[in-house]
Amino acid sequence: MNSNSKRLAKGGRIDRGRPLEFSFDGSKLAGFQGDTLASALLANGVSLVGRSFKYHRPRGIFSAGAEEPNALVTLGTGGRREPNLPATMLELGDGMIAESQNRWPSLAFDLQSVNGLFAPFLSAGFYYKTFMGPTRRAWMFYEHFIRRAAGLGKAGMEPDPDRYELRHAFADVAIVGGGPAGLSAARAAANAGARVALIEQDFRFGGQLLSERPGSEANAWLEALGIELRGLGNVDLMARTTAVGIYDGQVLGLVERRDHAQASGRVRQAFTILRAGAIVFAPGAIERPLVFSNNDRPGVMLASAVRTYVNRFAVLPGRRAVVTTTNDGAWRTAFDLAAAGAQVTVADLRATLAPALQAEALRLGIAVRPGTHIADLRGGRALNAARLAGSGAETEVDCDLVCVSGGWSPTVHLTSHLGVKPVYREDIDGFAPGPLAGGQFGAGSVVGGYTTAEAIETGHRAGIEAAAYCGKTKPVPAALQFQSTDLPAAAFRGVPPARGKAFVDFQMDVTTGDIALAHREGYQSVEHLKRYTTLGMGTDQGKTSNFPALSAMAALRGATIPETGTTTFRPPYTPVAIGALAGRAVGHHLKPTRRTPMHDWHIANGADMLEVGLWMRPYFYRGAGRDVNEAYVAEMRFVREAAGLMDISTLGKIDVQGPDAATLFDRVYANGFVKLPVGRARYGVMLRDDGVVLDDGTTTRLGEHRFFMTTSTAKAANVLSRLEFLLDTAWPDLRVAVTSVTDEWAAMSVAGPRSREVLAAAFPTLDVSNEALPHMGLIGGEFDGRALRVIRLSYSGERAYEVYVGASAGEAAWRRLIEAGQPFGLRPYGVEALGALRVEKGHVAGPEIDGRTTLDDLGLGRMVGKRSGFVGDVLRRRPALAEQDRQRLVGLTCVEADARLSGGAVLFKQGETLKGHGCGRITSVTYSPTLGAYVGLALLAGDVAMGDEVVAVHMMKNEAVRARVVSPVFLDPQGERLHG
Amino acid sequence: MAECGFAVSVETCTIVQVEGWPETQAACEAELSRQLGAALPSAFGEAVPVGGWLAVRVAPRRFWLITEDGPKPSWSIDPALGCSLSLGEGRMRLKLSGPHTFDVLKACVAIDWDSPQARPGSALQTGFHHVPVLVLRTGTEACDIFAPRSFAQSLVDWLADIAVSRDIQIK
Repeated sequence: MNSNSKRLAKGGRIDRGRPLEFSFDGSKLAGFQGDTLASALLANGVSLVGRSFKYHRPRGIFSAGAEEPNALVTLGTGGRREPNLPATMLELGDGMIAESQNRWPSLAFDLQSVNGLFAPFLSAGFYYKTFMGPTRRAWMFYEHFIRRAAGLGKAGMEPDPDRYELRHAFADVAIVGGGPAGLSAARAAANAGARVALIEQDFRFGGQLLSERPGSEANAWLEALGIELRGLGNVDLMARTTAVGIYDGQVLGLVERRDHAQASGRVRQAFTILRAGAIVFAPGAIERPLVFSNNDRPGVMLASAVRTYVNRFAVLPGRRAVVTTTNDGAWRTAFDLAAAGAQVTVADLRATLAPALQAEALRLGIAVRPGTHIADLRGGRALNAARLAGSGAETEVDCDLVCVSGGWSPTVHLTSHLGVKPVYREDIDGFAPGPLAGGQFGAGSVVGGYTTAEAIETGHRAGIEAAAYCGKTKPVPAALQFQSTDLPAAAFRGVPPARGKAFVDFQMDVTTGDIALAHREGYQSVEHLKRYTTLGMGTDQGKTSNFPALSAMAALRGATIPETGTTTFRPPYTPVAIGALAGRAVGHHLKPTRRTPMHDWHIANGADMLEVGLWMRPYFYRGAGRDVNEAYVAEMRFVREAAGLMDISTLGKIDVQGPDAATLFDRVYANGFVKLPVGRARYGVMLRDDGVVLDDGTTTRLGEHRFFMTTSTAKAANVLSRLEFLLDTAWPDLRVAVTSVTDEWAAMSVAGPRSREVLAAAFPTLDVSNEALPHMGLIGGEFDGRALRVIRLSYSGERAYEVYVGASAGEAAWRRLIEAGQPFGLRPYGVEALGALRVEKGHVAGPEIDGRTTLDDLGLGRMVGKRSGFVGDVLRRRPALAEQDRQRLVGLTCVEADARLSGGAVLFKQGETLKGHGCGRITSVTYSPTLGAYVGLALLAGDVAMGDEVVAVHMMKNEAVRARVVSPVFLDPQGERLHG
Repeated sequence: MAECGFAVSVETCTIVQVEGWPETQAACEAELSRQLGAALPSAFGEAVPVGGWLAVRVAPRRFWLITEDGPKPSWSIDPALGCSLSLGEGRMRLKLSGPHTFDVLKACVAIDWDSPQARPGSALQTGFHHVPVLVLRTGTEACDIFAPRSFAQSLVDWLADIAVSRDIQIK
C-alpha cells in the first residue's frame, strides 16, 4: 500500500503543505490537514476498516458523516482510549492513534468471522429462542460468552487524564446545521439583529456544498458568506459541535470535540447547554442506501459520500465504479468520478432517464444501464464485481467501488426529540418534521428543500422569522443566491427483492431476512420490529436503516409507509462520552463539600475527616487511637468519664419568627409546642403526610414569637423545604417566616460529667448552674462580639450543652473550650463516637428513621398521646401502621461472651430457617466500653418478646450470632446523668 | 502560557433579611422604605441602593439589605408587619473581577451575561455547582457571589479549576 495512493494529484479542501502522521492498527500512515480519519484511510488505500457486530463480516467506510454504520474505530490509548467513534467524523490530527474493533487476532484475519458460516442459525431472535433454558439462571451463564463474541469497542480502564468541561451559552437564534440553509439562516438572523449561534458538527461549514467541485460557484458563495458572518460580530460559529438533544425551553445540548490536535490533560470535549430564544433546524438529510445481496461489502458507499471524498478530500475511492441509483442526484457522483479518471457504469433502477443525463454520461464515457439494479456483489475484503440485472440477462461488471443512492431522508431526529412525531410526505417519499413548537423553524432538506436554491431561500426565511420571534426585526438584505448544479433527488421506490444476505442495518447486522422473519412471527409494528431484530439500536441509531427497514415491513404488511409509521427518536443524536456529561464534576469536584467553621482546626489537630452528605466532619481524632475502632472507644470514654467536645455545626438550623410561629410548630410536630415556655427547648418529631416519621430535632423558644429549630444533618434541606411548602400551600394565612440559619451558627456540644465545669471556665460570665440552666434550658450571651446561645440538650445521655456562636467566631469559641476544658479532661470526639454514644442511650437516628418507621415503631408514640390535627396524624392511624407484629425498636446484646453484632444483620427467630428477610434487622451497632460488650439497636417484629433470643445473620460476612432482645436504652434508663 | 485575567477574593459581609407577613407586606415595605428614605426594589433582579444599603428583593415578601462596611441597621420592623434577621455570619462574598471573569462564570452558572437582566447593577439568584447563590453584577468585568459560608471554599476551588483549564491566571 503506497502512501496516499488514492489521493488525486490536485484539488480538495486539504492543506497539502501540512502533512499529518497517524496510525491505524499499528500501521503508520500519512494524511493532510483538512482530512478526516476516513478520508485519510481511503487515500491510503485502506478499504477494510472494521468487522460487523454479529457476523464479523468485513466492512469498509460507507458514508462521510455522522450516519456512518461501519467504520467505527477506537481512538487513543490508555486512559484516553475512546471506542466506537465513526472515522468519518474524526478530524485527522498529527499523531492520531486509531484501531479497528471487534476482531481477533487481526482485522484482516478475524477468527470470529466463522460466525458467518452459522448465519442461518443466527437470525433475529436467536438469543431469545436459544439461550433461555434449561434453567432460569442459564442466561447468566451464556451472557458472558455472547457479549464477548458480539460487540463493539472497549473503553480504557485507566483514569482519563484529559479534562471535560460543561458550560452555559445563550443566543437569540440557535441554528442547527452549517450547510447552505443554516448559513443562509445565520446571515438573515444576524442581519436582523439577533445574537446567533451556528452549530455545525463538521470542522468546516458548508454541508453538502463542501462536496462541490473545486472552483465551483458554491466555493465562492461559501467564502463570501464566511467573510460576512465573521464580520458581523453577533454570530458564534460553533464548528466541531454536534447538537445531540433538544429539551424544553429551547434548550439544546451540544458536544464539542477538541481532540483533533491537543496535548494530554487539556479539555478534550466540552458539553454546552445552549438556551436560545428560537431555533432553526437545518440539519440536512441523510442519503438512503439500496438493499441488495452482499450490499455490505467494503467498497460499497453512499453516492454522496463518494462525491465528498472525490471533491472535498481529493480521494478517488475506486477506479472502476458502479453507481446504482433511483434518482438523478446520484448521477453527479458518476460525473465527478468520471471527471476524476474513474471508469463508471450507472445502473439506474428507472427504465426511463432524462436525456440530459444520458448526454452528459455519453460525453464523459459513462456506461448507462437504465432499468437495472445490482443483484449481487462479488468480493470479500474488497469488491471484485457486481452482477447487474434488468430486463435482459444478468451481466457482471468488474468494479472496486459501488455507489448507492436510494433517495434522501430528512434528518428529523432533533425535531422529534420533544415528542413531535415526524410525518410522511409523499412528495419527498420521506418523513419530515411534525408541527414544530413556537419559536422553532425548519430550513433546507429537513423540510424537503433538497436543492441548494431551496435551502438558501428557506434558510433565509427561517432566519428572519426566528429573529422576529425574538423581537429582532432590522431590515435584512436579500438572500445570497448562486447558480447551483443540483439534480433532482426525488427517488423512485421499487427495489427488487434481494436473493442472498442483504443488509438493512449494517451496524446491527439486520438483513431483509430478519425483517421477514419478524413479520412472520408477528413483530409487525415498527417498534416491535426494532426490538426483536435490534434494528436501529446501534451507536448510529439506524440513521441509514430506518427508512429502508420500514419500507420493507410496509411491503410485507401490504401497508403504506404512513400506516407502518416510524420508530421514536430520542436523544442523543450521536453518542456522547460520559466524561462530557460530567464536565468538571469529577474527583473532589463531583459534588460541593461543606466545611464547618472549625474545619481547619480539625485538620490541624489530627482529625480523620469523613464525608457526611456534603459535609466534612471529624470521623475520629488520631490522638485518641491508631484507627477508628480504637479511637472511638477511647473518645466515648472521655465523654462518659470526663468531658468531650463535638463539632455539631452540621445540624440543620432554622430561624422561625412570627405571631403564628407556635401554631406552625403545633401543626408540623406530632407533639405539642404551643405551651413551650420562652427559654426552654423541646424534642419534637415530624411526620410525613403518610404518617411515617420524617425527622426529629429540638426546638427552642427564644421569644414569644421566635423559635430556633434544629434538624438532623441529613434532613435539614427536606425539613426547611417542607415548612416552606406547607406555609405556601396549606397555611398561607400564617404569619411565619422560616429561614435556614445553618451556616449562621457554629455549633459544638460539650458533653460529659464535667461539662458544666468546662463551660463555666470557658464562659465565666455565664451562669451555667443547674438552676439557671436546667436540662432543656437556654441562656444567651455574647462571645467575641457575636451572639452566643447555650442550650442544655443531650444526645449522648450525659449532661451536655449545645453551644451556638456566630460562625465567624466558631473556631475561636472552639479553641476557648478546648483550652478551658483541659484541666477537666476535655477532648474532642468525632462522629463515630457520637453515633456510638447515642446507640448506648437508645436514641434513634437515620438508620432507624429510615422512611418506613412510625412513631410507635420507634417507641415515640407516647409523646403524642391523644393529640390530633398535626401533619401525618390521619394516615398514621391506618390499620396497617398499627398492626401488632410491625417491626419496632429493640435493643440487642450478645448471648455469648466475646461475640460481636454486625450492622445490617438480618434477624431470625430461634429455630427459624436462616433464609429470606427474617423477622427484623440490626440498624445500629457499637461496642460499649461502659458495658464491655457489643450492643445494637434493631427493628424487630412485634411478636418477638423482650428476653427472647434471636439469631443475627450477616449474609455477606457469613456470620451468625445469637442475640438477646432487650430494652433499647442500655445506659442510665432513668436519665440521672442528664439532670442535676 | 498562563494569562492573568481573573481575581477572586473572599470577604465577609453584612446581610439583613426583612420579610413581611402575607397580609401586611405592602405596609411593611412602605414602612421600611420610609425609614430608609428610598423606595425598595419592586421586582426580582433589581438591586437598589437605599440608605447606605443595597436592597435586593430575593422572594415575593423578602428583601436582603446588604452592606460591606457593616453599619448597624438603623431601622426597626414592627412585629405586626414583618420580621428581620441577620444573615451576615452565614454568607461569604466572593468578589470576582478581571477581563476573564465571565469566561470563567460561563462554566459555573446559567446566566446570560449579555442580556439586559444581567447588566451591571443587577442581582440574580441561581445555582452554582448545586449551591444556591445570589449574584450581583458589579461591573462590566466584575461580579460578587453571595454563597453560604460552608460552601464558599468549595466554590472558590471550582472557580480556580475552571480558570486553570482556560489558562487564566488567578490573582
